[in-house]
Amino acid sequence: MTYQTIGTDAPRIDAAGKVTGKTLYPGDITPPDMLHLATLFAGRPHARVVRIDTAAAEAAPGVVAVFTAADVPVNEYGLQIKDQPVLCGPGSTLAGADRVRFVGDQVALVVAETEVQARAACKLIRVEWEDLPVITDPEAAAPSLAGGLGDPDPTRPVPFQLHPHRADNVCYGYRIRKGEVETGFRETDVIIEGVYRTPVQEHAYLQPEAGVAYLDEAGRVTVEVAGQWTHEDQGQIAHALGIPKEQVRVIYPAIGGAFGGREDMSVQITLALAVWRLAQRGIVRPVKTIWSREESIIGHGKRHAMKIYTRWGAKRNGKLTAVEVKVIADGGAYMYTSNKVLGNTTLTCTGPYDIPHVAVDTYAVYTNNVPGAAFRGFGGPQGHFAAESQMDKLAEALGLDPVEIRLRNILTDESLLTVGTPIPGGVGMTETIIAAAKAAGWTQDEAGQWRKPVGLGTRDQGSGGRSQESGIPNPQSLVPSPQSPIRHGLGFAAGFKNVGFSFGYQENSYARVELRGAGEIAEATVYFAGADCGQGNHTIIAQVAAEVTGVPFERVKVVASDTSLMGSSGSASASRLTYMSGNAVKGAAEKALAAWQNEDRPAVGEYIYLAPKTTKLDPETGQGQPNFAYGYVAQVALVAVDTETGQIKVERFISADDVGQAINPQQVTGQIEGAAVQALGYAIQEEWKAREGRVLTDKFSTYLIPTILDVPDQMDALIVEVPDPNGPYGARGMGEMPFLPAAAAVAAAVYDAIGVRFDEFPLTPERVWRGLRGKG
Amino acid sequence: MQPFDYLIPKDHAEASALLAAGGGSVRPFMGGTDFLIRARGGFIRPQSVVDLKVLPGMREIRQSPDGWLVIGAACTMNQVAAHPLVLAGYDLLAQACNSVASYQLRNRATIGGNCCNASPAADTAPALFCLDAVAETYGPAGARRIPIADFFVGPGRSALQLGEFLTAIHLPPAPTGACGAFNKLGRTKLGDISAVSVAVYAWEHDTETPRRDWRIALGAVGPTPLRAPEAEAALAADASPQGVQRAAELTAAAARPIDDIRASAAYRRAMVAVLARRGIEAVLAGIARAGLQAVPFGGVPAGSVSPTGVLREGRPEQMIGGAA
Repeated sequence: MTYQTIGTDAPRIDAAGKVTGKTLYPGDITPPDMLHLATLFAGRPHARVVRIDTAAAEAAPGVVAVFTAADVPVNEYGLQIKDQPVLCGPGSTLAGADRVRFVGDQVALVVAETEVQARAACKLIRVEWEDLPVITDPEAAAPSLAGGLGDPDPTRPVPFQLHPHRADNVCYGYRIRKGEVETGFRETDVIIEGVYRTPVQEHAYLQPEAGVAYLDEAGRVTVEVAGQWTHEDQGQIAHALGIPKEQVRVIYPAIGGAFGGREDMSVQITLALAVWRLAQRGIVRPVKTIWSREESIIGHGKRHAMKIYTRWGAKRNGKLTAVEVKVIADGGAYMYTSNKVLGNTTLTCTGPYDIPHVAVDTYAVYTNNVPGAAFRGFGGPQGHFAAESQMDKLAEALGLDPVEIRLRNILTDESLLTVGTPIPGGVGMTETIIAAAKAAGWTQDEAGQWRKPVGLGTRDQGSGGRSQESGIPNPQSLVPSPQSPIRHGLGFAAGFKNVGFSFGYQENSYARVELRGAGEIAEATVYFAGADCGQGNHTIIAQVAAEVTGVPFERVKVVASDTSLMGSSGSASASRLTYMSGNAVKGAAEKALAAWQNEDRPAVGEYIYLAPKTTKLDPETGQGQPNFAYGYVAQVALVAVDTETGQIKVERFISADDVGQAINPQQVTGQIEGAAVQALGYAIQEEWKAREGRVLTDKFSTYLIPTILDVPDQMDALIVEVPDPNGPYGARGMGEMPFLPAAAAVAAAVYDAIGVRFDEFPLTPERVWRGLRGKG
Repeated sequence: MQPFDYLIPKDHAEASALLAAGGGSVRPFMGGTDFLIRARGGFIRPQSVVDLKVLPGMREIRQSPDGWLVIGAACTMNQVAAHPLVLAGYDLLAQACNSVASYQLRNRATIGGNCCNASPAADTAPALFCLDAVAETYGPAGARRIPIADFFVGPGRSALQLGEFLTAIHLPPAPTGACGAFNKLGRTKLGDISAVSVAVYAWEHDTETPRRDWRIALGAVGPTPLRAPEAEAALAADASPQGVQRAAELTAAAARPIDDIRASAAYRRAMVAVLARRGIEAVLAGIARAGLQAVPFGGVPAGSVSPTGVLREGRPEQMIGGAA
């Protein structure tokens, strides 16, 4: 199939504005006469606010108003359940809202003429605290879950309850039972057990939380902010203010990165509250706020830390027979999206494999840590680290090549997921594995078995010989000198993840297309609410509109992300926007084109795309059809390990991603490279540190993300295209997939290099060095 | 950030008077790369800053009549690292300057600021210790000279008195056949503050007997930068492979590291030994390449990385660390 615009590297429609600095991000918007808002954060992980005295702050120079819990009409919010107060303190409409459960809970808001005045007055608010015991270890918070595989022991006492609605502090759980896991283990030739720990990760987007709120010309409480779902923000604001949604308007200007960290509310409700309460006092002025980096880091959720107990059994030929997994995720102080993140870990903790007997139990637990939240991969990176590390160990135990053992078990169109249903068609898992393996120099022998390139890794280092077909560059440099402390290793891992909202949610996305002109269509305008967080979605929808209508790409305009102008297009998450927006805009453009042919001027097409239905999982067996589409990935890491310092250098990183159809290959490459770098930071460098719920790494001088010099010397972004049966032009989502198996691939490569297993990361120099010393 | 006044002093005496009169509320200012971070974070709340880099000589590098190199305190890292006189005689210092933060920050950050912050992790300090640098200051009592090891008093504390500021770094004439290597470890390859740094420096004692003098200095493993005199003496006596290993161990023994957010004390001490050994080997290799000809500093590759490459570079509060 050949297309006019689909599959081309159309230039990003936001490029010129961003490169020239014309584009405004939320913090750049400065309406005349605006006030500034500063937020008082709890700064303590668990405490009761006994009393708040705001008198000194209110009397401070420039201060216009101070707001506390008593000023919030409906003092609760939350994406999945409303378990978090907007402002913590006494006098709230909500019982129990006088308690802070993590350092980033918000206590008061100061509005002043300048930012300096607002921040200074914040420090004058006197809060009388009653500190409460702090619990940061999920297994201590929910002792019933402690102690490895097996059923919970409900007789163990809970130290104290963090939320009134959960007596056991377990905020959510899933259970999968497929086949008979004990039978499966009886049939195995080898069993590998492991306990894995995955770390917290900070989103570290360029743009800290910021926004401007005002009453618009229609009197609506309007918030211009960076988020991931305009209409959800609108609903959350309306709920907390106790006003109809129609009286709230949310607009997204340019967004400086999101990665899931903007799914939950940050400044949306507080800005709206300030403007609305001020208006009630006759002060109708815009209000702006910008969080500092330190506030951003404690104020938004993080990637869930998880502990994963797991046991895998396989036959001598490498066929998996049984897998048992127990996951304990640190949900932190509030639910955020823990239930959904956990659902995804539940599906991915057994890897992209066809396994006859499966028992999976997963739990998210409330603690006094910064909440676990959405973050690119959404529970998948954690699940895959355990699953793919297990596969690497199984391959070694069975003497099988890591690619070969994977292909012997891989999910195909025919196989059943652990939830007992097939994947909706077009499973590109095999294709991505082969693409990545070939690029790294894997070859097939006479019997068709895949063989890793030789000359690398512990077992064959020093032999000096290497495959001539290998794609690994510069072989001479890889032959270690006897004195050299550098060891090289190659690691392989693969993964899969759902696209779109799921588990019974009816996925939907709104778009409208308007065509203008006389004889010929001169211009197409797309109205779409989905957020372009920097990933390039608005360019994708312009390409789709151009393709359908035949209007040149340059003459497609995009009007986006304003709740007053369009319906809900859903969230910029779950790798869903290409898929959902593509189908929505395609539908709207086709209707507009039909209207055009019917002589309508302007010709308007409005369309809500409904994705194929999914189901909830059965609570006892976990059986069901949770998702309507998936994406697939396979990765190879070539690492050099300095055995004296423990430093790891990823010399080459290969990521093969099945994207169904690359609507814009350049953007796909950008997503693969960006995800890989972010995932390598997670795997090797980024070390979140907290003590008793207090964050020690709240700056970029203490929480380090990769610099350009830490990026692999060579990155291969390989685009695989196995069409999705329902995706627009066959496209499937892909933004998260290149994140999924990276940590496992690196850990496998490090093992290949130095013979030390790491079941916990980040693989900082010190951790690797300690691992090497522990070995002998 | 709280607003503050920016003052341009007309001469050294006025600068000193302003600083003295203001107590802690008037701060010296050069590159500002560390100052601005601290002011923005509210760690310091100055009423005003005195820009010292406008004073005569502060941004100059020159050779004095007695052969010493005089580096103005407000010379930037990039200026020092690229200066022909530095490259000709003091390559070790160029290596250290080039390792600080990023290129862009090195355009602002000054060698004087790096010293005046008195961070134990200051990257130029180990090199200056090896080179027997002398700090020249100006204060209410006029100018004075302080050996660099006495300039660093404790974490964040220099020998400067109220109203006194650093004007220049003096380096003695470079000995013939000298060779140096600076290595450090950070958590990223660009911009992180050093978790450990080691400078190694050696020169021919005289041309009659084949004897060398050594200097080894450490960063980020004590309350101030440190020398490792036992290791230096041991190397002068024995630079065989066993001697090198012994010296590396003595260097580690000289370290006084602590646990902090960047690394544990145990890791730091072990890395001192690794970086010291690699530095010594690099210096020996450099000397061997240069032979006994009068080609000082000729052979050491920039960064003096051991053949396998210590993954060096790194740091940011100092990127942040630069001028006071």
